[in-house]
Amino acid sequence: MVHILGINLPNGALVKRALTSIYGVGPHTARRLCARLQVHDQCKVSDLSPFQVTSLASFLSSPATAPPLPRFPLARLDYVPPPPSVSSKELMETFMENFKKKAVKNADPLKNLKIESELRREVRENIAHQRMIGSYVGRRHAMHLPVRGQNTQNNAKTAKKLNRLDRY
Amino acid sequence: MRPTLAILKSGRSAWKGPYFIPFQNLREALSNHEPIYTQARACTILPNFVGARFMVHNGKEYQPVLVTQDMVGHKLGEFSFTKKRFTYKATKK
Repeated sequence: MVHILGINLPNGALVKRALTSIYGVGPHTARRLCARLQVHDQCKVSDLSPFQVTSLASFLSSPATAPPLPRFPLARLDYVPPPPSVSSKELMETFMENFKKKAVKNADPLKNLKIESELRREVRENIAHQRMIGSYVGRRHAMHLPVRGQNTQNNAKTAKKLNRLDRY
Repeated sequence: MRPTLAILKSGRSAWKGPYFIPFQNLREALSNHEPIYTQARACTILPNFVGARFMVHNGKEYQPVLVTQDMVGHKLGEFSFTKKRFTYKATKK
């Protein structure tokens, strides 16, 4: 058993499946998270190293403030290597400078990840916004009925269960 | 794939921009608080509509809509309901 943000990930499950038990993480985001932590495709939760578990927990607790991923792009054809007299510190500085320039181009896809309570709050705020401005969507939420024109003579079970103003 | 209008969360392509009607009498309506009668329910509410009063057609009659700042980006038709709530009326004998 691995506990992350108060959620149990069962030992026997694949990491990419187990991560989807977090609210706001689907198969796609789970694969992205695995790629970020360099967890292979068929890795099970029990095979995760303690370092991977801690880095996963620290990333999920604050995705927006996580340090940027190191990227080491391949050299281009016109690349001229610097002379050996240049120290490694200077090389690192120029690399970080170039990296910052390209940061917008290679934006981190998980930067705006919202999970658990943060995502639930966003959903609740969106419903409250619709209700406050008095739109049809807000009214249908308040009536516990489907919002997007579905039939209500029968069924509409999911909407009756979920559509309410204080959803979470 | 064409880029879509991410801000308005519509499925509409970005190069088209939001769909709206350029109301000719908007400036007068804002100054003397006269409602604008319209049937354009699909018209997006633009920031310069704020404070204007509209009478939006719901298929049967015109319903009053007072545009506030929070409504920007929504459509006029979202605020003019087309359905009545069912209420049981006892028939006279």
